[in-house]
Amino acid sequence: MVLNDKDMRSAWEKVENYFQGSSIWMKWYCTGCGAIELPPTLTSRFDMERLGMGPMATPRQADILLITGYLSFKTLRRVIYSYEQMQEPKYIVAFGSCTVNGGIYYDSYSVMNRLDFYLPVDLYIAGCMPRPEAILNGFKELKSMIKAGKAEGYKKYKENYEWYRKNQIHSLKEVYVKDEFHE
Amino acid sequence: MDLSLMAILLLIGSFITYFVSRSNKKVGSYLTILITLFALMYVYILKNNIGLTYELFGVITFKVTYLGWYFSIIMATVYFSAAFFNPFWMEKFLYPSQYNLMYLLSFLGTIGLFFSNDLLTIFIFWEITVWTSTFIIPLGKSRKAGVMYFVISSIGSMGLLFTLMLMYNKVGTLEISKVFNMLANEPKLASIVFVMFILSGLTKMGIFPFHIWLPQAHGNAPNTFSPVLSGGLVKMGGFITFLSVGVFPAYEAFKDGLHIAGIPILIYIMMLLGAVSIIVGTLMAIKSEDAKKLLAYSSVANGGYILIGILLADQLGLAGGMMHMLNHAFASAASFLAIAVVAYKTNTTKISELGGMIHKMPVTYTVFLISIISLAGIPPMGGFVSKWLIIQALADKGLLLIAFAAFFGSIGSFLYVFRPLSAVFLGQVAERNENLTPPSNMMRVPMIFLAGLVLYFGVLPRGVLEIIGKIQASVGITPVELNGQAIMAVNGNLDALKVFVIFGFGFVLALLLFLAFKKPRKVDLMDTYTSAEFIYTKELYHYAHDFYAPFERLYGNHPSVEKWADQISYKVKEVGDLVNKVFFNFNPSLSILWITVLIVIIYLGGVII
Amino acid sequence: MNLINFLQAIGIVLFAFIFQTSLTGINRKITARIQRRRGPVWYQQFLDIFKALTKTSITHGWIYDFGVIMALGGIAATLMMVPIAGFESFPGMDNIFIITYLLAVGMLGMAMSASGSGNPWAAIGVSRALTSMLAYDIPFMLVMIGLIFKFDTASLSNFAALQQTGSIVTWNIIKYPIGGFVALISLQGMLGKKPFDNFIAPAEIASGPMVEYGGKHLGMLFILHELSTFIEVGLIVNIFFGGGPTVIAFLVKYVIVYTLTNMVSQVLARFKVDQMVMFYYKVPLALAFIQGFIIVITNSGGVLWF
Repeated sequence: MVLNDKDMRSAWEKVENYFQGSSIWMKWYCTGCGAIELPPTLTSRFDMERLGMGPMATPRQADILLITGYLSFKTLRRVIYSYEQMQEPKYIVAFGSCTVNGGIYYDSYSVMNRLDFYLPVDLYIAGCMPRPEAILNGFKELKSMIKAGKAEGYKKYKENYEWYRKNQIHSLKEVYVKDEFHE
Repeated sequence: MDLSLMAILLLIGSFITYFVSRSNKKVGSYLTILITLFALMYVYILKNNIGLTYELFGVITFKVTYLGWYFSIIMATVYFSAAFFNPFWMEKFLYPSQYNLMYLLSFLGTIGLFFSNDLLTIFIFWEITVWTSTFIIPLGKSRKAGVMYFVISSIGSMGLLFTLMLMYNKVGTLEISKVFNMLANEPKLASIVFVMFILSGLTKMGIFPFHIWLPQAHGNAPNTFSPVLSGGLVKMGGFITFLSVGVFPAYEAFKDGLHIAGIPILIYIMMLLGAVSIIVGTLMAIKSEDAKKLLAYSSVANGGYILIGILLADQLGLAGGMMHMLNHAFASAASFLAIAVVAYKTNTTKISELGGMIHKMPVTYTVFLISIISLAGIPPMGGFVSKWLIIQALADKGLLLIAFAAFFGSIGSFLYVFRPLSAVFLGQVAERNENLTPPSNMMRVPMIFLAGLVLYFGVLPRGVLEIIGKIQASVGITPVELNGQAIMAVNGNLDALKVFVIFGFGFVLALLLFLAFKKPRKVDLMDTYTSAEFIYTKELYHYAHDFYAPFERLYGNHPSVEKWADQISYKVKEVGDLVNKVFFNFNPSLSILWITVLIVIIYLGGVII
Repeated sequence: MNLINFLQAIGIVLFAFIFQTSLTGINRKITARIQRRRGPVWYQQFLDIFKALTKTSITHGWIYDFGVIMALGGIAATLMMVPIAGFESFPGMDNIFIITYLLAVGMLGMAMSASGSGNPWAAIGVSRALTSMLAYDIPFMLVMIGLIFKFDTASLSNFAALQQTGSIVTWNIIKYPIGGFVALISLQGMLGKKPFDNFIAPAEIASGPMVEYGGKHLGMLFILHELSTFIEVGLIVNIFFGGGPTVIAFLVKYVIVYTLTNMVSQVLARFKVDQMVMFYYKVPLALAFIQGFIIVITNSGGVLWF
């Protein structure tokens, strides 16, 4: 069997996927009321570090962005900015029913209903709020997805960038705000 | 190759430059470059004439020694490099032709000083240098700086004059190698002469408590003369200090007195003054907000190192002090030149107003980086070799307090040299500095030359150390031991070339690791982590003011020598006012009183006496 | 210096990296047990570093890349000079001052690169790191001066050899306990562990100098941290704990010292920078001076004034 360039690249990608699936750093930035379930998951009783995950302070260092709960439009601008500052490969995990279809805030004027239109989501964890056991289950699923090469949200974002941008502008009117409070 | 001929040629050349500058300023400043180059080459050739004496005008005698040659080469290099910057400042000066004249005359003064053979010649050239540089300093920003420089230098000159007159009275000759020999057996006279003689060195090097002129003079002098002041003229103090332990039999004269850890108490007190000036210089440099004042305080601290090294007067310490003079001269001159380039382009040296200069002048940044690595004493630059020598000598003798000051200065210097690098050259670029043109090549050439010398003496220090060894042998101290490029000491060796090679090897390994992975994508400086907030003003995100605020708060209310000197001057003024009121009053009754007292004294004086 | 020396040097760097990274992973497990949980696998730190190296990254200019390379190069060069149980790849180069000052090259490179990113958090972190360096280095170097004066040598392998002549009582930590205590407190500061980790401070200044690093820069910085830990703990083991006649003895002492510092760091809170400077200049500095004066006075036979 002769190894050609494509085989070598895919072998190298398999190695990369293994490393990226075994050590995941989350951005310690939690958007909605689901954030309250993250500290118990991280600390002694449920111990997220067993899965190789840990918190990191800035988007430049982080691998996954957690959208925990509802996402108001003001926060959506900052989340998009943070997501674009992250470095590839990057993944988004959405907690709770608010990210799926709006949840209990489905008829609010300031909260979005479908996260899928604005940012590519790799994994949803259902619940209102999901308990730490559910979160750990979801992260295990994420790990196996990454190792199998199926978590390709960032590639989808790059390929369909115009579509995502159109949706963002449609709902937000401008992503980078410049007014008298941001000079 | 006559030395007195060169002195006369320099004198004539400086006056020619004056007259040429009256008609065309720029050509005059180019003449300074040529004349200093000529002097540099002349001094270099003088190496073959070691041991010869020359005479000038019957009063001045020169002798070519290794010591004089070593110092003169350093001075000539610094003057020559700084001369390249003269043409750019000719439009900004009020009196450009006087500047060129004084520049060359002060150069003549220093060269004459280092090659002197008797104390009178030293005094003559010392005064020439002080007077000419006093007239250059006010051409910058403030007249008070020139006055302060002159006053404190006069204290030193008075010390020198006192020594001169006292020794001439006792011995009858003023030749350096003979004049102090009789003091080896008279400790009391020797202590007085020692203090007076080294006083001139202390005031010139800026040792505590005479350090107050350094930040004023270096900070306010014209940007193109500050490198000469700091890298050159301060070394005159080092010359006198060397004479006061090398030629003056300090250790023999005091050998029966009180000793602390094997060092006579008077010399130990001087070393303590050096240690205090290291600490004071470091702490004030960490606090300062102006780049030139920061470098001036760093000269205070380095002057302390030189004083400690030379006063140890043994195999390693003396070599360390002498080599530190060379390293400090070149590194300080290079960093002042880099700041001068920034000041030429942006018209300010205040750190909080600058930022991001690396994107406009990368060569200047590299020169500044190399010079501050040497000032901080980090391998592989030159400053590490001299600091290693001094610290090894201190560890040999077990001097704990002075070693504490030496380490404090060494690590504190990381703090204050990093601050201008980070706040002036790195960071965000201010809006008003967006459209700067790169500096011209004539400014880059001397900076690269000095930086190259700094690097060269850090990697291959053998050349310098051989000459220092000959200087040590000429005053009867064991010369420093060399083996290839390594320095052999009692406690351990330093092979500077090997350190550089290993460092290069490590760098290559890291570079290979870096290049093996994906190429990074370039991103603008304002696209940075701000907790996802949108930012548009660059000046607000440049951390430059109060850089070490938590540390500065710890010594915020410190006693200050300037305030103490101010108080003394007020007291003198009060005493003068009192005398004025009592003796020179307009009230006629007081005059009649004093006349009557005088008559009574004259009358009764005959009876009493 | 020939090719064999350089190959040995590369070998030492790889060995130190693998050993220290595994030890860090095991210490993460020990930390977890202190906090009554399980913790990651013992090779988790390797996975972290390789994951960081394989990500894409951004750069803010040439100085941002150059600083990281210079830092890692300086630290790797320093590591090549540290003796391990008498085995030196470059004999004669293990002077204490050279090693201490070359460590500063690493810090300078990282500081340059962090400031070059243009983020004020990075500049704050760097100013705190440099102020901390002023705090912890002085008592340590004073103790070193005393020991160099006593033993008349500044070479690490000589220090190690001089302590292996007898049993445990010839170790410097037993003969000079005050100095050893001061050195261990300074080690806590040098490694940047709590309570002296204010320059990293993830929630306070967004991890300080590392705020803009990601991808291979972050991976190289982690490697830098592991290598500099090895140098610093190796320094203490050689000077105070006898250095080990065999490699196994050296590694056992190393594991004990590092685990001790880790366990101490997990139960203490963080100091502010000025509190740290004031702390180091009170008790450790006084103890270092006392130790130094004891050595100087006893060495010169008690004759200090005459």
